[in-house]
Amino acid sequence: MNIQHQGSTAIVTGLQELVAANAAQVRDEIHAALPPPCMNLDLDLSTLSFLDSSGLGTLVSLHKTLRSRNGTVRLIRPAANIRQVLELTRLHHVFEITP
Amino acid sequence: MNSNATNAVRRDFRSSLRLEAPCEFSAVRSATLQVRDWLAEKGLSEAELSGWELALVEAANNAVKYVPADKRQLPVVIEISAGERDVEARITDHTAGFEWPDEIALPDVESENGRGLFLIQSLTDRVAYLRNPQQNVMILQRARTQTAGKPVPDAGRLQAQLAEAEAALNDMTAELSSSYESLVAMFRYSAELVAQTDVKDFSQRLLRDLMQIAEADGAVLRLLSADGKKLETLLVLPEHGRTVLPPVALANASPSVEIGAARNRQDIWFDAEEPLEKDDPLLAAMPMGNGICHAFFVANQLVGTATLGRLAADKPFTAAQVNLLHTFIDFLAIQIVNARLLDERTATRVTRRELEIAASIQRSLLPEKVPTCLPLELSASCRSALQVGGDFYDLIPAGDGAVLLVIADVMGKGVPAALFAAVLRSTLRSMPQLFTRPAELLEAANRTLYADLSRVDMFATAQVVYLDPRGAKMISASAGHCPLLFWQPGQAVASAIGQSGFPLGIESSAKYSQTTTVLPPGAAALLYTDGLSEMRNADDEMLGEKRLLELLAQAGAQTADTHAARHFLLGRLADYCGNAPLTDDQTLILIRNTA
Repeated sequence: MNIQHQGSTAIVTGLQELVAANAAQVRDEIHAALPPPCMNLDLDLSTLSFLDSSGLGTLVSLHKTLRSRNGTVRLIRPAANIRQVLELTRLHHVFEITP
Repeated sequence: MNSNATNAVRRDFRSSLRLEAPCEFSAVRSATLQVRDWLAEKGLSEAELSGWELALVEAANNAVKYVPADKRQLPVVIEISAGERDVEARITDHTAGFEWPDEIALPDVESENGRGLFLIQSLTDRVAYLRNPQQNVMILQRARTQTAGKPVPDAGRLQAQLAEAEAALNDMTAELSSSYESLVAMFRYSAELVAQTDVKDFSQRLLRDLMQIAEADGAVLRLLSADGKKLETLLVLPEHGRTVLPPVALANASPSVEIGAARNRQDIWFDAEEPLEKDDPLLAAMPMGNGICHAFFVANQLVGTATLGRLAADKPFTAAQVNLLHTFIDFLAIQIVNARLLDERTATRVTRRELEIAASIQRSLLPEKVPTCLPLELSASCRSALQVGGDFYDLIPAGDGAVLLVIADVMGKGVPAALFAAVLRSTLRSMPQLFTRPAELLEAANRTLYADLSRVDMFATAQVVYLDPRGAKMISASAGHCPLLFWQPGQAVASAIGQSGFPLGIESSAKYSQTTTVLPPGAAALLYTDGLSEMRNADDEMLGEKRLLELLAQAGAQTADTHAARHFLLGRLADYCGNAPLTDDQTLILIRNTA
């Protein structure tokens, strides 16, 4: 996983899996890379092959943090199976998903 | 017949796999990947594999997550069996177990957990959870998508992959074509924008196209009002009859998804499960069964809300269609803000034109030539600030070589002040019989103008001086104006003369007094407006009357020439203010006895 900053946006790339085994760690690492002036998070999900409910918890947690700063979490280019999980749990209502 | 007989004896040949994984997240994750590979060999489609992978991961994670410390050394067991018609999995855990809920609902969107069981249930046809003091078994079962009748596994797998590819291709085509459509639309809009800037027309066409491409039945577009307190309706589509959607206040307490979306800066979806409240103002537009409300912002400022709806509750918008909504509306938001900026720029242009008019009125009030009044000589100038004010001066021949000097400052700026200056000038000029009695002239002018001035809350200060060359006399009166300054050779500092009364337009029966002063040879007098005494230097320090008195004495001592003395004064004033901008008009008349 790689985190870069562009203005008030943090860009995360290179996520492979977001599952119970790493969800808490990924959440904490990204949180640590979001000091307060940082408002928006772009998660490049094009490399993400698998997402489970713990991973969804990580996404929701990041979303709540940035919402409190009037920012957003954008999910960029999730594969069909990832998008399906988001739609199944209706979280595509919450995140901005960019194809 | 034959086929019936075949069916009757046909058996579902099942194969199975049993895996034991240490009770850790990473170990059970590896096990589920092995199961996935095994199921792929059995010819399951990509979609089926993804579904099973996720269901098994969720079930196995539960087994790890809730295991008590003393059972952690026991493995999690995953058994899977695949037949032609279905796949069944059993996951054995050693947790305390739980009561399988009758109904599994999604948690609140803000919740960070509690979606596992929902996923398991959604991804399978049947779930059973068998509790036992030693261990619990979760049984998951799901029918296979039909590859039956193709017993050769490789052929089935190929067929499934083909169907998969075809579906993916269809999805991509649909997405590409909607992207293409929106791209074409954007280009068209951009071209149109060059030609016209009517926001409503433009928004209407954009919203119609969006509805068509996103397959919506209705749309509502609202914009934040100028005072920022409510959302006003710009468009309701389709237009039917006279549906008027009243504005909704942002502080509104009654339910409105538009207000909710605007306040929380978040899209709000509504459908059969979470329908619009019956009081939601949107329902007056159309009976929307499901839809999405998107609040849009430019530079972090709310611009408005856009809602797309469908009549049917069971046909939700897809992620791709929501993307279209975002793309179109965010583009529209920028155009709306641009159009507003353009309006503001036009307004600024109008203001500038108004200032030009005011300046030309002011210039037209100044006398074209300076009358002679020898041995008294006059030199005058009026320098306008950027914002044109109401300063003017007048030099009126008053018969027998006498001259009436007027210097005035109408409070206010721009065209109204300039117009009033013109009125004041005409009023004074219309009473030549009073020129020799400046105090009475001011009283008469005040009576004439009082009603008009006070009605518009304006007033003017004026200094009137009757200049009589015989005896080199000045008879002066002041209506709230800066004092007349007087200097004669030998004085180190000039002095202020006379008393001042109310400005014109303050008190209807104001009385004024007049002072007669003789100007000996070489003496000078100065009439000026407060733009001169109140000018500020770079340190924001005001010039003040005292310094002006010193400057007048210096100018008088410096040169006997009237114009040269005025230029000397102006030069010193310019030195004083340095680079500070001129904030008020600067008008002055210098009188000199050249005898």
